[in-house]
Amino acid sequence: MKCKSVLYTILALVFVVGSVSAQEEEMSAEEWQAEMNRYTQMRDETSATVNATKAQNDSLKAQSMAMDENIKKCQDELYALVGSNATEAAAYRAEIGEAEARADGLMRLSDADLMARSAEVDALEADVKTLEGNKLSVIPEFHDRLAALNEKIASMRNSLGGSAKVYTVGTWSRDRDCLWNISKKKDIYDNAWMWPKIWQGNRDQIKDPDVIHTGQKLKIPAAGPMTSEEKSAANSYYSRKGGN
Amino acid sequence: MRKAHRALPLLLAVLFASGIITMSGCSSGPDEEEMTQLNNLKEEYAALQKEQAALSQEKGALEKQLAEKEAMLKKCNDDQAVVRQRIGQ
Repeated sequence: MKCKSVLYTILALVFVVGSVSAQEEEMSAEEWQAEMNRYTQMRDETSATVNATKAQNDSLKAQSMAMDENIKKCQDELYALVGSNATEAAAYRAEIGEAEARADGLMRLSDADLMARSAEVDALEADVKTLEGNKLSVIPEFHDRLAALNEKIASMRNSLGGSAKVYTVGTWSRDRDCLWNISKKKDIYDNAWMWPKIWQGNRDQIKDPDVIHTGQKLKIPAAGPMTSEEKSAANSYYSRKGGN
Repeated sequence: MRKAHRALPLLLAVLFASGIITMSGCSSGPDEEEMTQLNNLKEEYAALQKEQAALSQEKGALEKQLAEKEAMLKKCNDDQAVVRQRIGQ
C-alpha cells in the first residue's frame, strides 16, 4: 500500500515538472508578436541596406567602365605622340618581353656556361640596341624595361670579364706565340683576324701588338664580333704597318 | 488519516490529467501557422543578411578595381608629360 502511494507521488511529480517545463519552452502570443515585430524591422532594415549597396555597386561599375574608356583614350594619345598606335605598342611590348626572357635565361647560367654562350649575350645586346632605336622607346614603360635590360647585359659582361680565360704566352721557338697565332688557336677564337680583341683586352700590358713576352698572362675577352674600338685599333695598326 | 490515504489517488489523478492537458497544447500561445510565419520571416532575414555580405564583398572589389584604374590613368597622364618632354629635347 505504501509502495503504491510512493509510485503515484513520483508519477504525479514527473507530470507536474513536465507540464511546467513545457509551458516555459512554449511561446506566448505576446512573445510571438514581439519576435515578429523585431524580425520584421530587421528584415526591412537589411532589405534597405541591400538595395542601397546594389545601387552603389551599379554606380561603381559605371565609373569603372568610364575609367576604362579614359585610360584607352589616354594611351591612344600617348602612342600618337610618338607616331604609333596600340597595335604597334603591343607588338613592341612582346618583343621586349622576349628579350627579357632571353636575358633572364642567360642570367641564370653559371659563369662558365655564360662564357660558352657569350655570343648570345652579344646577340641580345644588338637586339636591345635595335629596340632602343624604335620610336616607342621614349615611352616610360618601354624606356624603363630597356634600361633594366641594359643593366642585365652589363652585369653579364662583368661576369664574362671576371671569368675571362687567361693565356700564358709561351716561347716563340717552341710555341710560335704571337697575337695572330694565339687568336688562331682552336680554344681561343679559332680565327686569327680576331687578334685585336686580345690586344685591346690587354692594353695595360701590350703597347705594341707585335711585342709580347714569354710568361705574360693575357686575358682573353669573350668571343664575338669585334667592337668598334677593336676595329679602330686594328685599322690604325694596319695603316701604320702599310705606311712603313 | 485513512481518509487522507484514500484521497491521495484521486488527487494524483487530477494532477495527472492537468499535466496532460497543459502539455497537449491547450494554451494561449501562437498556433502552427503563426510559428511558420515567424520561421519564414527569420529565413527571409537570414537570406538578406547573406546577400548583403556578398554585395559588400563585391563593393570592396569594385572599389579596389576603380582605385587601380585611377592610378593607371594618372600614370598614363604622367607618361604623356614625360614623352612630351623627351620629344621636346
